[in-house]
Amino acid sequence: MDTIANRVDREIAAGCIGPKMGCPYHPSHFTGQDCTFCYCPFFPCHDPTFGCNITRKSGEMIWSCEGCVFIHRPTVAAFVMQELRMRHLTAADSEALHTLFLETKQRFWHRGRALMVLGATSDAGKSVTAAALCRLLHRQGYLVTPFKSQNMSLNSRVTPKGCEISMIQMLQAQAAGLTNADEHMNPILLKPKGDVRSQVVVEGKPFGDYDVQHYYSEFVPESGKTIVKRNLDFLLNRYDYVVMEGAGSPAEINIYDADIANMRAAELADAVCLLVVNVEWGGAFAYAIGTVELLAPADRARVRGIILNNVRGDPTKLRDGADRLTALTGIPVLGIVPHLDVELPCEDSETFRSMSVRGHGSKHIAVIKMPRIANFTDLDPLYDEATVIFATKPADLVGAGAIILPGTKNTIDDLQWLRKTGMADAIAALKGKVPILGICGGYQMMGRVLHDPQGLEGSVPGDTPGLGFFDAESSWNSYAKRTVRDRGIIIDGGGDVEGYEIHMGTSESRETPLFRITSHGRRKETEGSVCRNEMLFGTYMHGIFDRPAFRERFLGLIETAGTSTTTAAPATDWQTTVDLNLDRLADGFAAALDMKAIDNLLEADR
Amino acid sequence: MSSILFLGTASGAGKTTLTALYCRHLVKQGLTVSPFKVSNLSLNSYVTTDGAEIGMGQAFQAWACGHEPTADMNPILLKPTGKGTLQLILKGRPLLDLDEEHPLNRTAMMKEAGACYDRLLAQYGNIVCEGSGSPAEINLQNTDLANVGLLRARPMPTVLIGDIERGGVFAAIYGTWRLLPDDVRPLLRGFIINRFRGDTALLDSGIERIKQLTGMKYLGIVPYEALRFPEEDSFAKTDGILGKGDLHQAFVANLDVLLEKCQSLDFTALDTLARSSSA
Repeated sequence: MDTIANRVDREIAAGCIGPKMGCPYHPSHFTGQDCTFCYCPFFPCHDPTFGCNITRKSGEMIWSCEGCVFIHRPTVAAFVMQELRMRHLTAADSEALHTLFLETKQRFWHRGRALMVLGATSDAGKSVTAAALCRLLHRQGYLVTPFKSQNMSLNSRVTPKGCEISMIQMLQAQAAGLTNADEHMNPILLKPKGDVRSQVVVEGKPFGDYDVQHYYSEFVPESGKTIVKRNLDFLLNRYDYVVMEGAGSPAEINIYDADIANMRAAELADAVCLLVVNVEWGGAFAYAIGTVELLAPADRARVRGIILNNVRGDPTKLRDGADRLTALTGIPVLGIVPHLDVELPCEDSETFRSMSVRGHGSKHIAVIKMPRIANFTDLDPLYDEATVIFATKPADLVGAGAIILPGTKNTIDDLQWLRKTGMADAIAALKGKVPILGICGGYQMMGRVLHDPQGLEGSVPGDTPGLGFFDAESSWNSYAKRTVRDRGIIIDGGGDVEGYEIHMGTSESRETPLFRITSHGRRKETEGSVCRNEMLFGTYMHGIFDRPAFRERFLGLIETAGTSTTTAAPATDWQTTVDLNLDRLADGFAAALDMKAIDNLLEADR
Repeated sequence: MSSILFLGTASGAGKTTLTALYCRHLVKQGLTVSPFKVSNLSLNSYVTTDGAEIGMGQAFQAWACGHEPTADMNPILLKPTGKGTLQLILKGRPLLDLDEEHPLNRTAMMKEAGACYDRLLAQYGNIVCEGSGSPAEINLQNTDLANVGLLRARPMPTVLIGDIERGGVFAAIYGTWRLLPDDVRPLLRGFIINRFRGDTALLDSGIERIKQLTGMKYLGIVPYEALRFPEEDSFAKTDGILGKGDLHQAFVANLDVLLEKCQSLDFTALDTLARSSSA
């Protein structure tokens, strides 16, 4: 039997190999990782800094060191290999190995440092600032992770392990060079279901539905703080820097002590905080000083720098005001950052809410903008080639070359909305004339009937007739959510797709499936529905346009409005575009920020 | 006789709408009312019946008052020319393009604006004024016209509006109060929280704190409503000039809907404040 000990023996024999570029799983943790010890010679180290005991389904207790990247740090791998050889150790010698482990930990491990980005408002630029700092610290060779204790967003993604976290922390993890984003990076996700009610997702799994009042009076004191601390500790034990992002404003004095997204999280992590203020709307100095001065004195002392963000026009014109702000608050302005034109997924639903058209392509796609529209980052790859019209009434569909029914946090209520507004009839009238794609909730709507006997999804229990485009039924029978990543190929015509599913409710379809799943261990599965002659497509897979194959297929069915004179550039992978833009973002911030001062802040407090 | 000024913590905080709303309230009390805004920086303008070009916001507010707008209501309009200069429109007529060699003559402008204000006050008796942007731009305060400038030229009771939609509303209100120059800060008498949705009880502790810190009176919330009003940014693509038609009636009808929904606004206190200007 090939035990871990045997494998480690072979690793010792092979010596230092650095990053194993040819490996199909590389990089499984982070860019620049050392793969010398694919199997850790110290397993099981039984050190609670790096892992914990877990119970398997069989009842057996085993040591889990998931999320530990210590042995993949190049300095650690080199040191361990050198010592193993000098001491003539093999994996079988557990006592001597344990001694070496303790020495290695003593020498190379230190608890990480937290840097937190606070915002004076929503949409101040916290997310992009944190992403830029992740990339800049990653470029300096540090192991960096993003963190946001509590994120309210309907744009979520599925981690490699099948946990649901907000899209923006996935993006920041990518900025940090990480390939193993996990649930610790966004342990609490709030998905709004109405003006005052949200589904609370904890460590990647649905926990329960709360209204605002009970979230703060019950969830936060009973579970919230413990969850934040547990996950912060997890990351601080494993990374050099935890780049934290606050939520909204930290100066919401009406919920101050219950606000686990801002200063309470900063306190738990002992974070150095930077305050970002969006200059675009005016009043930036007032927002900055008001935020700082409304914080409790101990919290105020954590704010060590202010960043004036999103400046259009000449940034030097703000210098006088910035100096006066520093004189009044005692906090230096560490950057006046110009408005940067980068194409990154759009997080903020407020910005999105007011949007009616986006993109500049010759193909016109109407996206039905339902009241609880979710995962609208699915549309990001389309804006280059298509003009997307966010349709809220039948008249908006005139001239559309295709229709997309996107995901929603509340399929049944939004389906009622579709009927009430006349959109359902308007869409039905275009069936067979233009391609129609339903994603997730939109796909569920395209079926014959939606069963919700307990009212888990909609406001009222019972059956709701669907649009009837597919011979399919969806049901909500338990408070359970499927979060899984998919790889697949388009059954008719081939081409790779990659995406992720996030849904309550399941569907049974008697239509031809759209994709064959190629993910490991699931090769017999199919996904989605297609009705080729009527150009109807349905899928649970978010991110369906990220890879070129399906995007080209779908766009290819659209008749172009007007004649395009440009020849199409070769289709690119959306992730590659995102990474390029993360670099542009980081370059923009590097030029505008006093990085030396930030480095000093992080060093001085170590 | 009454005067009141509405300032915002940022652009888009709701000054234009609140000013129009309060005009409408006074009109419904049987009063004659005029809006006033010293200066607008906008490409969205409207042409009055006598051919003067003014900011769209004041046109809308005049309709809310039940009459047609005049040049006095927005004496200064600054229109970005796209060439890095600003076209200065004084009392509805283009005067010159501002650049480094031709800077704004602030003193002269403020004098002109003051005369317009005085005329309107004599004519209508009740003036509801709107500020511009944030009054707390500490790099610009000494050259400001519509906020600090107006308050120094014609001191009057002032109400601050914060937008809660973006978060940080308490910081914005407190911070704005804090950064106003000492000579005008005492004129800030009350604050309003705009675009609120949900349960107002959640705000109570924050409101109390702001009252204690600033001495300003809490005047209520304006609920979030998806009603369309002519905001300075919304017409960016139509190049500003709004043609004739029924649109302005639709705006005023929306205003009446909003007025109905503003149960929490303390109009009695607002009226007392406005009247105190002539005391």
